[in-house]
Amino acid sequence: MPRSNYDYPGYERSGTTYWTKTTLLYAGVIGGALLWSLPFWWMLATSVTANPSAASITLLPSNPTLDHYEALFSTQPIGKWFFNTIVFAGSVTAFNLIFDSLAGYALAKVDFIGREKFFLLFMSTMMIPAMVTLIPVYVFLAKLGWVNTYQGLVAPMIANPIGIFLLRQHFKGMPSALGDAAKIDGCNELQTFYKVYLPLAKPALATLGIYTFIMTWNNFQWPLIIASDDSMYTLPVALFSVRNQFFTEWGLVMAAAAIIVMPVILVFLSAQRYFIRGMTLSGVKG
Amino acid sequence: MAVDDKTDSVTVRTRVTRFRQSLPSFGHADQNNLAGLLLMLPNFVVFSLFLLGPVLFALFLSTQDWNVFTSSGEWAWTTLFGVRLPIQNYVEVLTPWPWENNWASLRSPSYNLWWFALRNTIAYVVVVVPTQIIGAFLLALALDMRIRGKKPLRAAYFMPVMLTSAASGVIWRWLLANKGVVNEFLRPFGLANAWANDPGTALGSLMLIGLWGGIGFNMIFYLAGLQSIPEELYEAARIDGATGWQRIKEVTWPNLRNTHFFVIVLSIIGTFQVFGIALVFAKGGPYHATTTTVVLIYKTAFENSSYGKGAAMAFMLFAIVFVFSYYQYQLNQQNEVSY
Repeated sequence: MPRSNYDYPGYERSGTTYWTKTTLLYAGVIGGALLWSLPFWWMLATSVTANPSAASITLLPSNPTLDHYEALFSTQPIGKWFFNTIVFAGSVTAFNLIFDSLAGYALAKVDFIGREKFFLLFMSTMMIPAMVTLIPVYVFLAKLGWVNTYQGLVAPMIANPIGIFLLRQHFKGMPSALGDAAKIDGCNELQTFYKVYLPLAKPALATLGIYTFIMTWNNFQWPLIIASDDSMYTLPVALFSVRNQFFTEWGLVMAAAAIIVMPVILVFLSAQRYFIRGMTLSGVKG
Repeated sequence: MAVDDKTDSVTVRTRVTRFRQSLPSFGHADQNNLAGLLLMLPNFVVFSLFLLGPVLFALFLSTQDWNVFTSSGEWAWTTLFGVRLPIQNYVEVLTPWPWENNWASLRSPSYNLWWFALRNTIAYVVVVVPTQIIGAFLLALALDMRIRGKKPLRAAYFMPVMLTSAASGVIWRWLLANKGVVNEFLRPFGLANAWANDPGTALGSLMLIGLWGGIGFNMIFYLAGLQSIPEELYEAARIDGATGWQRIKEVTWPNLRNTHFFVIVLSIIGTFQVFGIALVFAKGGPYHATTTTVVLIYKTAFENSSYGKGAAMAFMLFAIVFVFSYYQYQLNQQNEVSY
């Protein structure tokens, strides 16, 4: 898209004005990007410095050491926390994909009684601040004895209006003629759904899946409430507890932070497109 | 040819209509109802159990002195104009009113924590929302231009959005620590400060963390918005002799009307519920300087086990957020297209 004058005839890509403008633009944008990513670098640099203090850490650590990581792995159940987080994020994602595609399809393509009312009801739950429902859900799950269990961790996260909204929009965008054709050929509603529409929704499912996985991986509020025993911590809660435990050992704390942050950054960088699409469509940040 | 195409599609459509009519009419509708409701059933169950039911239960809890061990409560009555009403939790949270004691509860946390936390939250919202939106808009403008390396640049600005709030809080706590990196840079200018331990600067530091993550988040909405503005509008403005600044002011800005609205509403809802970074960065301290509304609700309900009072506070936050969410919902409805 030619937004700049220099994409038009009559404006030469040369001369002092052009070069000043270009240099300033690049300097600003790159400088900002460096500033924005500096905290990440600082986290990594601190985590590999033996006795970190602001004065002793340089941009490129001279004697990188993995002592903090070793100490962390030998004193803390990092593997267990990783496992918990993967179980948590993985099962929430799986449940969401199944439940949300069923409801999203029904709300978009099946003409049933009270459809719009159902949609309105589901979407209106997006307005509820998390804390309003988390208190009664905790009280309810405590009664069931689900505190510090995987089912307690996962169950409340399955209800996800954003996922339903996202998939409903996607199914709505597909022509109804496909479903009609399938029905003329003798498919019932369920067959129409999983033989015709579901395969077409793969990109949307990928978007929702990656988005939900990262958002659940990052969820801090709910695991903090429901997991009070350190064997049930997920990584973000574990980081909070490590920080409270090792108040002054910043090398150790930063190593713990790096362990949580790096997988997410890697997933994000490789599936950036899907993630950003999920976020733009749903407009919600965890 | 064109006529043939038309008749063709009409024939198909008639055929489909005839097919639909040929089905027994009440049976067909029943089938649809059954299929639709069955497909909705799993979600209806989890929504009822974990979102809709809990809201009603929370309303009930907010009128109770709840004990989590016995899972039972007692009505918390308060007499108002001679009538007993189950609103004691609300009254206890809200009194003393902010205007009592010469507005002291807005200046010091020792009078009433709810109002002090609300003050913190509103200060956070008022600073962070406009700053992050203007920052995101300018950044999106710059990154929408024809420059090299757009993708890594966008990724760099977006990366903080990917962090769990626990990680952002911890990383910034170290950067802003007494012997931290930021102070190392500021010390030569005599500006070193214990950012997180000073009640005067702790909330400001929190705003900085919020902006670090918020600008990248809003940037992607503006980038999407910018791409939806038709190029012809810029061409027309150019032909009419508009300068670069005028094109931004008269073409770009007004055409992003929907994006502005969406982004503003989202930011307000998000910032009103700021929790993770506040809790991890300074645990709501020092002297409650970073106790935001949600942190206060968390501490009331889960640290002090005052579930009834926590639920009452949560409902009052709900009332505030509801107003803004309602507009977001309306906006979503407007943008809908059906095929």
